[in-house]
Amino acid sequence: MKKKNRTWSVPLSVLICIAIMYICTLTGVASISFPDANRILLHEFLRLDIDMTGISEGSIAIIRNVRLPRVVLGFLSGASLAVCGAGFQGIFKNPMADPFVLGVSSGAALGAAIGIILHYDRGVWMLNGTTLLAFAGAFLTIGLVYNISRVGRRVPVSTLLLSGIAVSQTLAAAMSVLMILNKQSMDQIMFWTMGSLNGKGWSQILMVLPYVVLGIALLFSCSRELDIILTGEDTAVQLGVNVEFLKKKVLFASTIVSASVISVTGIIGFVGLVVPHVVRLVAGPKHRTLMPLSLVFGGAFLIICDTAARSIASFEIPVGIITSLCGGPFFVYLLRKMKRGGYFS
Amino acid sequence: MNTEILSLKHVAAGYGSREVLTDVTLSVREGEFAGLIGSNGAGKSTLIKCVFGLIPLRRGALSICGRENAALKSRERARLAAVVPQSYHVEYDFTVEDIVMMGRNPYLSLRRRESPEDYEIVENAMKLTNTEQFRDRFYNELSGGERQRVILARAIAQKPRLLLLDEPTSSLDVHHQIEVMELITRLNQEEHIAVLAVLHDINMASRFCQRMIMLQEGRVFADGTPSEVINRQNMESLYQMKLMIHKNPLFHKPEIVPIRVMEEEKASLRQHIHVICGANGAGKLLEELDARGYQVTAGVVNQESGDWDICQELGIPCVAIAPFTPVTESDQTLNLKMMETADIILVADMPFGESNLNNLSGLEDMPGRIYFHKNALSNDHTHGALVKRLQELGARKKITYIGDHDAFLDLLKKEEA
Repeated sequence: MKKKNRTWSVPLSVLICIAIMYICTLTGVASISFPDANRILLHEFLRLDIDMTGISEGSIAIIRNVRLPRVVLGFLSGASLAVCGAGFQGIFKNPMADPFVLGVSSGAALGAAIGIILHYDRGVWMLNGTTLLAFAGAFLTIGLVYNISRVGRRVPVSTLLLSGIAVSQTLAAAMSVLMILNKQSMDQIMFWTMGSLNGKGWSQILMVLPYVVLGIALLFSCSRELDIILTGEDTAVQLGVNVEFLKKKVLFASTIVSASVISVTGIIGFVGLVVPHVVRLVAGPKHRTLMPLSLVFGGAFLIICDTAARSIASFEIPVGIITSLCGGPFFVYLLRKMKRGGYFS
Repeated sequence: MNTEILSLKHVAAGYGSREVLTDVTLSVREGEFAGLIGSNGAGKSTLIKCVFGLIPLRRGALSICGRENAALKSRERARLAAVVPQSYHVEYDFTVEDIVMMGRNPYLSLRRRESPEDYEIVENAMKLTNTEQFRDRFYNELSGGERQRVILARAIAQKPRLLLLDEPTSSLDVHHQIEVMELITRLNQEEHIAVLAVLHDINMASRFCQRMIMLQEGRVFADGTPSEVINRQNMESLYQMKLMIHKNPLFHKPEIVPIRVMEEEKASLRQHIHVICGANGAGKLLEELDARGYQVTAGVVNQESGDWDICQELGIPCVAIAPFTPVTESDQTLNLKMMETADIILVADMPFGESNLNNLSGLEDMPGRIYFHKNALSNDHTHGALVKRLQELGARKKITYIGDHDAFLDLLKKEEA
C-alpha cells in the first residue's frame, strides 16, 4: 500500500533536519573546534558530566547564547512561514499565495518603522517596542483587510486577495513616506525589512513559541478540510466543510504565527512561497503530509540560509536576501524538471 | 417507502435582482428516481444549489428528511444528501482513493479519524462504481466517464439518503452516459437512495426516471410519470420547436424526436398533395411537405405504422385502417374522395401486396397529376399485378416516375420557379 510507503517520509525528514541543525550549530565565524563544540553541546544540553577543561567560557557562551538560539529561532521561523504558506495556498487555491499576501508583512514593517523612528526601545516583557509595534501592525492590517472584504458572513477569497494587495500597497507607500521624512533611520528600516536572525536570543524564542505552537497546531488540525477545499469551495460545502469557518480559522492561525515570527525577525521572504510548493511537487498535495514536511523543510531551509548569511562574508548578510537568492533559482529548476504536478500541469 | 426525503414548499430564490425560482413546490420521496427537466435558465441548477444552502431562500421552506434545511449544519446535510456535478476538475494530484475518502468527511472530525470502517465504505463505493482498479491513479489523469464514476463513488461514500445530480452525463459520450445512468439506477434500487437528477436529455430522463418534474419560468410546470409529462403541449412549451413524440418500442417509454426549429421556406403555390403511403417509408416526405405549407393528405395508411404516427403527430388528414387488414373497396372510396381535390397524387416508396393494391384503383378518374416512386417496384409482392395495374393506368393517364423523394421535392420547387 502506498500509505505505508509514505509513513517513513516524515521521520526521515525530521532526522535530516536534526542533522542540519547540528551541523549548523557547529559552523560559524568564531573558531571553536569540532570536538570542543561537541563537548559543549553534550555538557550544556544533555547535562552529561563531561570534562570541560580547556574550553573557554567565551566558547560556551557563543554556543549557548548565540548559535543555538539562532538555529532554534531559524527553525521556528522557517517552519512557521512554510506552514502558513501551505495553509494560505490551500484556502486561496492560488499558487502565488504566501503568508504575506494579505499584508501581514507591510503592516509589520510599518509598525517596525514607526518603532525605529521613535526609538521606542523600552522593553516590555523582555521585548523591545519595535517588535511589539510590528506585531500590532501586522494584526491590525489583517483585521482591516478581513473587514474590507467581508460580505455579510462570507469572505470571498478573490476580494480578500485584492483588498490584501490594496492595503499592503498603501502601507508600503506610507512606510516609504516615513523613510523619506526620516532619512537617518532609513538604513535601519531597510535592514529590518530584509529580515535577520542576528542578535536574537532565547527571550525572543520564548516570546514567539506559544503563538507559533498554538497556530501551527490549529493549522495542522485543518489538514483534511484543506484537502477538500482544494477541490473547490462549492464541493467542500457539499462534503460538509464549513468553508467560512475554515477560512477564518486558517486566516487567524496564519496571522498569529507569521505576525509573531516576523515581528522578531523582520520580513523573510520566499520561504512561505517556495517550501510548500517544493514539498507538494515531491510528496503530493495532501495536507496531512504537506504540513509536517513543510514544517521540517521550511525550518531546515532557513537554518541553512542563515548559516550561509553569517558565514560567507565577513559581515552579516540579511537572511531574507539569501532565502530569495537560493530559493528562487532552485524553484525554477524544480519547475522545469517536473513540468506537471501541483499547479503547473 | 413514503417518507419525504426532500421537500420544497413555495420556494423562491435567485441572484441579485433576478429571481430564478419564483414558486417551487415539490417533494422527492424515499426510493424515488426523479428527473428534473426544463429549458436553459429555468432554474434547475439553482434548485440544486438551494438544497445545499449555496443560495439563500427568499421565500418558502426547504427541508431534507424532515429537517429544516437552514438549521442543518453543513456536516449534517452532507450525511443526508450528496451532489454529483456536471463535470468536476481538480487541479491537484489527488489519487482516486483520496477523492473517494473525501466523501467520508462529514463523519470525520479531530477526535474521529479514518477508521477501518471508513476504509471499508470507501472500498465498497469503489467496487460498486467499478473504480477500484485505478484507486492509486491521479484523478486528473482519468477520462470524463471514469471521473464521473469516481465522483459517484465519493457520493456513495457519504452514505446519503438523497443523491442530487446536476446534468451528470452532459460531458460524456453515449457509452459513458448510459454507464453512469445505469449506475445511478442501481444505486437507486439497491442502496435505496432517492435520486433527483437534472437532465438535459429528455429521452434519457424518460428512460431512467420513474417520475419527471418539469420546471418552467421558476415554477413546477408538470410533475408525473414520463408518459404524463412528455406530451406535445409540455414539450413544445419546453423546447419551442416542432417535435414528435412516440413510444420507444424497446423501453416502452415516451421519446421525443426533435424535428425542426427554423421554418422551412414556404411553397408559393398552396397545392394539395395526396400521398399514397401506408408503411414506414413516407414519414420524412410527409413532414417536409407539411413544413413547406402544402395541403397534405394521405391514405390508405395502416394504424400503428410509421406513416400513420407521423400523420397523427402532424395532424395530416388520412384514411386509416386497422393494422394488417387489407384495403377494401370502401376504404379506397374514402381515399379517392380525399384525393379528388388534389393537384398532385404521389405514390410513395411503399411495399405493394395483394392486400393493398386497391390503393391504386380508380386513380385514372382523378384530376391530379400522378407521380410514382420507382423504388416501389422493387418492393413488389403482387406477382405481376402491380405492373399490370400500372400499365392499365399509364394507358389512360400520364404517370411521372421519380427516383427518390428528394427528386420529387426538387421537381416541385422547379415547378414553382
